[in-house]
Amino acid sequence: MNAAISLSGVGHEFDGTMALAAVDLTVMPGECLALIGPSGAGKSTLLALMDGRLRGWNGRAEVLGAGLNSDQPPRRQVRADTGFIFQDFALVDRQSVYQNVMNGRLGRTSHWASLWGRFSERDHAVVGAVLQDTGLADLAERRADQLSGGQRQRVAIARCLAQEPQLILADEPVSNLDPAHAEKVLALITSAARKRGIGVVFTSHQPELSQRFADRVVGLRDGRILFDRPSGLISERDVSEVYNGAMADPQLRVVS
Amino acid sequence: MPRSVVWVLLVGAVGWALLTADVEMAKLTRAGPRLWDFLSRMVPPDLTIWREMLRGLAETLRIAILGTLFAVILSAGFGILASETLMRPAVWRPVRTFLAMVRAIPLILVAMLMVGAVGLGPLPGILAITFHATGMLAKFYAEAIDNVATGPVAALESAGASSLQKLRYGIWPQMAPVILRDTVFRFELNLRESLVLGIVGAGGIGLYIQTYVRSFQYEKAATVTLAIVALVLLSELVNTLLKKRFS
Repeated sequence: MNAAISLSGVGHEFDGTMALAAVDLTVMPGECLALIGPSGAGKSTLLALMDGRLRGWNGRAEVLGAGLNSDQPPRRQVRADTGFIFQDFALVDRQSVYQNVMNGRLGRTSHWASLWGRFSERDHAVVGAVLQDTGLADLAERRADQLSGGQRQRVAIARCLAQEPQLILADEPVSNLDPAHAEKVLALITSAARKRGIGVVFTSHQPELSQRFADRVVGLRDGRILFDRPSGLISERDVSEVYNGAMADPQLRVVS
Repeated sequence: MPRSVVWVLLVGAVGWALLTADVEMAKLTRAGPRLWDFLSRMVPPDLTIWREMLRGLAETLRIAILGTLFAVILSAGFGILASETLMRPAVWRPVRTFLAMVRAIPLILVAMLMVGAVGLGPLPGILAITFHATGMLAKFYAEAIDNVATGPVAALESAGASSLQKLRYGIWPQMAPVILRDTVFRFELNLRESLVLGIVGAGGIGLYIQTYVRSFQYEKAATVTLAIVALVLLSELVNTLLKKRFS
């Protein structure tokens, strides 16, 4: 089986700082992987690289069987196959929930028809189903700037799912949420991925939640991978090491 | 700059203006009766000129509409060229300087130049309004482009959207209300400015005001003034309604 993501010796320097240093990582289809580490560890940079949005990196990277190029974005098909959930949601505020979710279909639908606002029946069917799955059906006509933070988060997830991606990348999907909502959101993303049999990579500051929802956890610090283990094998020492012992009790080292 | 220095400069400027202005305050005491005489001659307004008045208003409206339309077309191009996010400094800096120079030239001077170039009538008015409005609108459009949030656009690109799709679904929805607000605001300004263009022979209802006042037909000038007030109020109402609709 081909890997969903394959990185080999990937490095990236930003303003004289090593953001990523010789990262080797493989994610298989259907696998759920959590990237944990302190702020500035390189988690978001690594995710942006996997999404084909990072420029000026070196090494080899393949996503869904297509080689990524450091100088230019991936082909439309590869971008459409890779769903990304942005930390700040990145919604178009003046558009309705429905249109924001439909924006996830732009890489799948007829290009010229979409420019005239016309989408296929299948596009509408997919968006309708995703809105149901994410509990947004009743809010479909509401403008994005009239939603609460949690609702906006769900719209961002719904847009990603409407892409019908072969891989989901999520940058700090629960960073702004209270523990109860954080669990719900991670459950929503991981269950949707399992239902579709696709891979997920998410970044998080919350080791405990990461262990519960991911099959594997990768600890990242100063752009380097410190450990890469099945979630059941992550020790308190691993967590302590990756967060560099900022506090004595690793349970309290959970950063929101 | 320290606050005390700002106050000294402000007080100094006002004091200089008051002391050096050649103003005879005594004239104010004599102005009241004259003003009253002037106003009383405007009553009652002469409504028999309604045909000329409507003709003048229609021409003024045409100048404002066409001037705004051509300014919008030119501003779309200059706005892109003046955008800091779309263009390199070697492009947007000279374009912005050019637009600032365009804005600095008084409209009435442009109108006089255009009358000299193409003769009397509405055409020099349309050209003057187009020229003057482009200086402002292009700057506003460039700022609208530069203020577009990049996150949503990046999200669409990530989802596989093409450049045109990003423009249609990511950039335009963010820009549209700003562009519309600025364009409607500029149309209102154009309408007010085109009212006086007739004074220099550049078409519109200004010509009627000048003619009636110079020939001491104040009751007719009153009718034209009332029509202008109604037109400006109407344009403000439309402006307000559009702003509410597209906010």
